[in-house]
Amino acid sequence: MEFAIISTLNGVTYGLLLFMVSAGLTLIFGMMGVLNFAHASFYMLGAYVAYAVSSIFGFWIGLIVAPIVVGLIGMAVERFLLPRVHAHGHAHELLLTFGLALIIEELIKLFFGDFPVNYQMPADLRFSAFSVFGSNYPFYRLFIGGVAVVMFAVLWLLLTRTRTGIVVRAAERLPAMAEALGHNIPMVFMFVFGTGAALAGLGGAVAGAFYPTNPNMGIELGVIVFVVVVVGGLGSLKGSLLASLLIGLFSSFAVGLDWSLAGLFGLFGLGDWARSLGGLMTLELSSVSATIPFALMLIVLLVRPAGLMGEPN
Amino acid sequence: MSATRTELPALHLAGVTKSFGPIEVIQGVDLDIRPGERHAVIGPNGAGKSTLFNLISGMFPPSSGEILLDGQGITGLSPHRINRAGLARSFQITNIFHRLSVFENLRIGVLARHGVRYGLFRPISRMRRVNEETAEVLERVGLRARGEDLAGDLTYSEQRALEIGMTLTTGADVILLDEPTAGMSREETAEAVELIRSVTQGKTLLMVEHDMSVVFSLCDRVSVLVYGSILATDTPERISANREVQEAYLGEEAS
Amino acid sequence: MASMRTILILAAILLLLVAVPPFLGIAWQNALVNVLIASLFALAFNLLIGQAGLLSFGHAAYFGIGAFAALHLMIAVEDGFDFPTPLLPVAGAAAGLLVGIVAGYFATMRSGVYFALVTLAIAELFHSLAPHLQGVFGGESGVSSMRMPWQGIVFGSIIEVYYLTLGWVLICGLALWTYTRTPFGRLTLALRDNEQRVRFLGYDAHAAKVIVFAISAMFSGVAGALLAISNETANYSLFATDVSAQVVLQTFVGGSTVFFGPVVGAAAFTLFSFLVSDLTRSWVFYQGLIFVLVMLFAPTGIGGVVQFHARHRRQLDRSRLAGPYALALLGGLLIAGGVVYLTETVAVLFGQGYAVRMRDAVDGLPNYDLFGISWNPVSILTWLLPLVLVAVGGVILVRARRSIAGFWDRVGRSDGPVETKAAAPGGPA
Repeated sequence: MEFAIISTLNGVTYGLLLFMVSAGLTLIFGMMGVLNFAHASFYMLGAYVAYAVSSIFGFWIGLIVAPIVVGLIGMAVERFLLPRVHAHGHAHELLLTFGLALIIEELIKLFFGDFPVNYQMPADLRFSAFSVFGSNYPFYRLFIGGVAVVMFAVLWLLLTRTRTGIVVRAAERLPAMAEALGHNIPMVFMFVFGTGAALAGLGGAVAGAFYPTNPNMGIELGVIVFVVVVVGGLGSLKGSLLASLLIGLFSSFAVGLDWSLAGLFGLFGLGDWARSLGGLMTLELSSVSATIPFALMLIVLLVRPAGLMGEPN
Repeated sequence: MSATRTELPALHLAGVTKSFGPIEVIQGVDLDIRPGERHAVIGPNGAGKSTLFNLISGMFPPSSGEILLDGQGITGLSPHRINRAGLARSFQITNIFHRLSVFENLRIGVLARHGVRYGLFRPISRMRRVNEETAEVLERVGLRARGEDLAGDLTYSEQRALEIGMTLTTGADVILLDEPTAGMSREETAEAVELIRSVTQGKTLLMVEHDMSVVFSLCDRVSVLVYGSILATDTPERISANREVQEAYLGEEAS
Repeated sequence: MASMRTILILAAILLLLVAVPPFLGIAWQNALVNVLIASLFALAFNLLIGQAGLLSFGHAAYFGIGAFAALHLMIAVEDGFDFPTPLLPVAGAAAGLLVGIVAGYFATMRSGVYFALVTLAIAELFHSLAPHLQGVFGGESGVSSMRMPWQGIVFGSIIEVYYLTLGWVLICGLALWTYTRTPFGRLTLALRDNEQRVRFLGYDAHAAKVIVFAISAMFSGVAGALLAISNETANYSLFATDVSAQVVLQTFVGGSTVFFGPVVGAAAFTLFSFLVSDLTRSWVFYQGLIFVLVMLFAPTGIGGVVQFHARHRRQLDRSRLAGPYALALLGGLLIAGGVVYLTETVAVLFGQGYAVRMRDAVDGLPNYDLFGISWNPVSILTWLLPLVLVAVGGVILVRARRSIAGFWDRVGRSDGPVETKAAAPGGPA
C-alpha cells in the first residue's frame, strides 16, 4: 500500500514534468509541423540558466529569469534559423534543430564543465509535505507537479479565453486562412515557439533543482519526451498528457518492482527452467525501469500506430 | 451491348457506404461496370466521386458494402493487393515521382507487373523486356522525347499524360482515371481524350469527369452521383435528357 | 553512368589506399581503419536517408549489434570453433540484418518525423538494456576477445587489420553502389519520392521499407563488426546517441544526395578528430557548428557542392570565379579563426584548471596561455581580436557570396553551389 501510494505520487509528478516539456513540443509540431529536436535542450538550458542566475540573485529570481531567457532564445531560433531551411522541408528543419541540440549541449559543457553542477532547491522548500507509513514525502515533488498544473491552467485559459489564443488555435487549423483574415501569423508562430521553449525552460528550472543538473539531462529527458509524443500522438495535447502520466507511472512503479520474466513463468510452474536460462529471463523490472518507456512505445506502435490520441495517417 | 448483361461485371459495387465521423459521404452505392465499357461518374462538387474512387482502389476501406473485381472480393484490401488483382488508378492531383526520370516513373510499374518487385540481384539495365515495355508505354503516351527528363520538369499536361501512362504499366484490365482532363485547355483536352481512347482499348475504364463533352465523346455509359448515392446510370444521351438529373445536377450548372 | 574520369579518380584513390598505409605510423594506420569503418557506416546510413528518404536517429543500434555479434563469434573461435578470421564480419551482417528486420518493422510503421523518433527510441532501448544483460552485452564492462590467426596470417599488427577492413569496406561499398542499379534500388528512390503512388502500383510499401531498413542495418552491422575486430572489445556505449549522431553529422556534411558524399564527410570528420582531439576538448562543438552551417548555407553538403561544379564545369569561368572563391575562403578562415579563438578562450577561462588559479591569484584574473601566447582576460585586445576577425571575415564572406551568386545567376544557374534548390532528402514529414 505504502509502495503504491508513493509510486503513484512520484509517477504523477514525473508525468507532469514530462508533460511540461512535451506540451510545448507537441504544440509547436501541431501548429508549424516542425519537430524541434532541440526542445529538450531548452529544458536543460532552463536548468543551467536558473542555476547561474540563482547563484547570484537567489532561487526565485532564477525561476523567473530562466523561462524568459530560454523563451527569447526559442524565438530567435524560430525567427532567424528555421526560415532558412524551411524551403527544404520538415526533415531539414528536424536536422537543423538536431544540430542546435548538439551545439547547446556542447556549449553547456564548455561553460559549466562535463559534470553535474550544484543546483539546489532553497532551504525553505526543503521540508516534507506529509508522511505516509512513517516515511516523509518531499514537498518539492509536489511543488514540481503544482507548477506544472498552474502553468497548464494559465495556458489553457490563454488558449481558450483570449483573442491571441483563438488566433493561435485558428492558425493551427488553417494558417493561410488566419493570415488572410489579417492576423500576423509569423508573429503568432514566433510567439508559440517562444512559449513552448519557455515552458521547457521553466520545467528545467524547476526540475533541475531536484533532479541532477548535468549536460546529459537534455538528451536523457529528450528521448523520453519523444517517446511520449509518439505514444500520445504528435500534435495532440490530450494525448501527450495521457502518455506523460502513463510513462511517469510505469517508470515509477517499475523502479520498485522485482518482477522478472522468470517470475512470470514461475506462475506456470516453469520458474526454475526460466531461471536456468538467465539473461533476459532473470532480469528484474526494477533494473530495467529505464527501458520501460521504449518497450511501451513499441507496444503502442503495434496496437495503435497513430498513437493513443493521434489521427491515423 | 445486350449480351453483356449476362456477363460477370468487371467491377461490382453493392451497398457501399463510407462515413467520416458522423457524416456519411457515400450512402449505399450499387454500381456494375461491364467488361470493356468506358464508364463515367459525374456529379456536383462534394458528391463523393473521389471518395468512391478511394474506396474502390483501397485508399481506405468502406464502412459497409461489397466491392468485386471480376467476381473477386476486393473490399477493404490494401492498395497494392487491389492493384495486383488487376485494377489501376490515376489521381486527380498529379501523383508522380517528381525526382525520377519519366522513363523511371513508368518502369516502376512495369517492374511490378513482371513480378520483380523486390529484385536485388540483377542490374536493371539488363532487363531487356522490362525496358522495352517501358519504352512502349512511353511511346504510347507521347512522351518519348522526354524519357530522360525529370518528371517534375514536365509541363502540366505532360504530367497528366504520364499519370495516365503509370496506370497502364501494371497491366491492369480495369483502369480508374480521376479527372484526367482537369485544368487542361481545349486543345490539351482533345489530345487527352484521344490518348485515353487509344490506351484503354480492350480495357475497362471508369473515370470521374466534369467536362460533359469529354463524357459524350468517350463514354458508353454515365452514372450520376449526387450526395453520395447514384441517381441514375444510362447512356450519355439519355442521361442528359433525364429530368431528374437535370434538376439535381445539370440544371444548376448548365443554366 | 560512371564516366572515364570518375573511374580514374576511384582507381587512383584505391591505389593510394592500398599502397600508402604500410609506410605510415601505427597511429595513422589506426586512424585510417577508423576512417574506413566510418565511411562504410555512413554509406549504409545514407542508403536510408539519401535513397529511401528515411531519417534514422538510431543507427548506433545496428552498428553496435554488429560489433557484439562479431565479438561473440571471435570468442567462439578463441574457444576452438573453426571459423576463418577474415570472415568474422559475416556475423555482424547477419545480426544487423535480423535486428534490422525486427526494428525496421516497427520503425517503418510510421513515416516522416515519427520514423526518426522511433529509431531513436529503439537505439535507446538497446542502450538502456545492454548494461543489464551480462550474457549478451557483457554488462557495463562489455565483451572482449582476441583476433585469432588464420592460414598463417596472424592479424596481430594493425596493418593486417587495415587490409582486412579495406577489403570489406570496398566489397560492401561496391555492393551498395550496385544496389542503386537494381530494380529494388529504383523502387527505393520511388519510395522516397512518393510512397503512396508506389502502393497503388502494386508494391507493399511497408514490406519494401522494412527490406531497405534491414539492408542498411546489415551493412551498419558489418561496419560495427569491423570496429570490434579492430578494437577487440565493445561495450554498451556503442549504442549511445552520440554514435548515432556522428553518422548523421558526417553524412549530411559530406552530402546525402551524392552516393560518395557520406564517405567524404566520414573521412573528413574522422581524420580531423584524430588530428585535433589532443588539442581541443571542443571538437564535438565544432562538429555541431559545421553541421548547422552546412544545413543553413549548403544543404546538399560538400558532395552536393562538388557535384554542382562538376555538372556545370563547362560554364565554370575559372578566371572570374577564382577571385571570389579565394575571397570566400579567406573570409571563412577569418571567421573560423575568431570562433576557434573565442571557443578555446571560454574553454580555458571556464575550465577547472583556471578556477584553481583564480582562487590562488593575488589580485584580479591571472593571464592564460592559448596558441603559445599569454593573454590577459580583462584586456580589451583579448576580446577585440576575435570580434574583429569574425566581423572582417563576415564582411568579406558576404561580399564573396554575392559575387559568386551573381556569376551563377548570369550563366543562368540560379540554383548556385550554395543554397541549391535540390530537394530535401527527407521523407514526407
